[in-house]
Amino acid sequence: MKKPKVGIFDFACCEGCQLQLANMGEQVLSLLGSLRVMEWREVMSETWGKKLDIAIVEGSITDPHAVERIQRIRRRASVLIAYGSCATIGGVNGMKNNFVFDEIRKYVYGDSYAFFPTEPTKAVHQVVEVDYFIHGCPVYIPEVVTVLKAALQGIPYYVPDYPVCVECKLNENVCMYDRKVTCLGPVTRAGCNSWCINNGNICYGCRGMVSNPNEKGALDVLAKYGIPTSLVVNKMNMYNKCRELDEP
Amino acid sequence: MEDTQYVVLKKDRFEEFIAALSSMQKLVAPVAKGFGAYAFEEVTSADPIALNYIPTILPLKKYFMPQRETLLEFTLDRRSHAEAVVEYEPLTIFGAHTCDLAGIQCLNMVFSERPKDYNYLLRKGTITLIGLECNDYCDEYASCHLVHASFPSGGYDLLFTDLGDYFMVHINTVSGDRIVRTAGLCEGAGSAHMNELRSLRDRKRTVFRNEVPIKTKLIPELFDAVFGARVWDNLNERCLACGNCTNVCPTCYCFNIKDELDLTLARGIRYRVWDSCQLEPFARVAGGINFRKERSARQRHRYYRKFRYPVDRFARFFCTGCGRCTRACMADISLKETLSELIKESEERVWKKWL
Repeated sequence: MKKPKVGIFDFACCEGCQLQLANMGEQVLSLLGSLRVMEWREVMSETWGKKLDIAIVEGSITDPHAVERIQRIRRRASVLIAYGSCATIGGVNGMKNNFVFDEIRKYVYGDSYAFFPTEPTKAVHQVVEVDYFIHGCPVYIPEVVTVLKAALQGIPYYVPDYPVCVECKLNENVCMYDRKVTCLGPVTRAGCNSWCINNGNICYGCRGMVSNPNEKGALDVLAKYGIPTSLVVNKMNMYNKCRELDEP
Repeated sequence: MEDTQYVVLKKDRFEEFIAALSSMQKLVAPVAKGFGAYAFEEVTSADPIALNYIPTILPLKKYFMPQRETLLEFTLDRRSHAEAVVEYEPLTIFGAHTCDLAGIQCLNMVFSERPKDYNYLLRKGTITLIGLECNDYCDEYASCHLVHASFPSGGYDLLFTDLGDYFMVHINTVSGDRIVRTAGLCEGAGSAHMNELRSLRDRKRTVFRNEVPIKTKLIPELFDAVFGARVWDNLNERCLACGNCTNVCPTCYCFNIKDELDLTLARGIRYRVWDSCQLEPFARVAGGINFRKERSARQRHRYYRKFRYPVDRFARFFCTGCGRCTRACMADISLKETLSELIKESEERVWKKWL
């Protein structure tokens, strides 16, 4: 089989998900053995600029330049993988959408703010078509490998459409709510093997919400534990603000 | 009266006994995880073992059918070679309550049906089960008496009963007998011991009562009458579909089978993972149709899989009354309450039969 040509691109993000690839350890060698990396700004200086079999896109789309650039990448790539929360759900960059844009542009760029146009933060699929989603902040390497293998085989990858609680129970963690701590696991989609909770942290909802959350039931649960709804909405918006752009 | 099936282990020899057990093969027992939670974990001494514990987060099925288990290794070359895989290591489980022993009895029936599940059955053959009788209720969520699991009824190699300064040990199998002989720490049980065991059981009969106001034998009839009950709509509003209730259930055994290739795309494995009827994708089929899309239908299915369907197929309930589903439910969906509400709702129709 001919090795597929791959390009790795970044938009508004911390580039930490790309770093996760470099963090893979030995597995990165077998990964590189089955791909031809043509462009990857973070780790190489060569560029390619032609057709790609797979484009891996990190980061969210936040200004007009980014919109043009992602459209060009989409035209060049047979398969496009949204990589990391910023790309798949808008991620933390979505918090910008809570503010009046002129005010925050002045806050960030001072007097010359007019030279820096901005747009509501969008996830990649809210601008161009996306073939595969690898959620997470950062991405979970075993899932990255699974999705890449699916892309290499040309078969779909189904992101688990059930809450993190499932994996958390399988890992036999003591529930965060029993520890009197608020956790977004019950409404966040799984696939990370409850990575954060296994290590004593809470779930921050970085993978986005399940497709059919029981919002009324969730409110009842919050009331039972005496947690204000606004607190959870704020927590949820840290990663999931762009979700409202998905709604018809 | 003397009974060779019973021996006595004095409590001051318990530490030695556990050390002996752990030197024979890998030993797991309930240990405290904090925040009132317990889990079966490997132990090498008696020190971390919680003798007084409420049912662990996950039941014993995690040892009999692990959360993820490889079934097959295959290659995709011209010969398409495939080889069955069974992963297991000899294991002793100490401290299983009667509800969890009942859970394993249920799984044994399921996986012994044809076609037999050799992965389960081969692994089960290498597991030694040592039970620990409950002298009292663990907490208010248990409903073990309703489903006849509050008293020991087999399914173990050895059963420990705490009788003050000693354990009464019931030897139920040859391998249980071998453990007692190898450890060499037990003494024969005399008639005084047998009397103490008998009076404990008598006392238990006054403590353990049906936790839900229904005669056990009438439960299948109840479920025949409540398929359309309003109770299920109420659960629809509350259930978060997190799957906790089924993952922690000692008798829920549904699994999904997946194939995964390595990065060369030339070799791969087939493995199975736990699945749950409570999850959104469980009943989603080709064409995007979901034949149990409503959470009410999924919850109802769970209850029928515990109290109605297995009665026809295996002649027993698949609820062991351990109470885990209630403890693990963030939405406070309580098994005892659901049953009570079903009874209330159906009362008008069948109340005469309960007199």
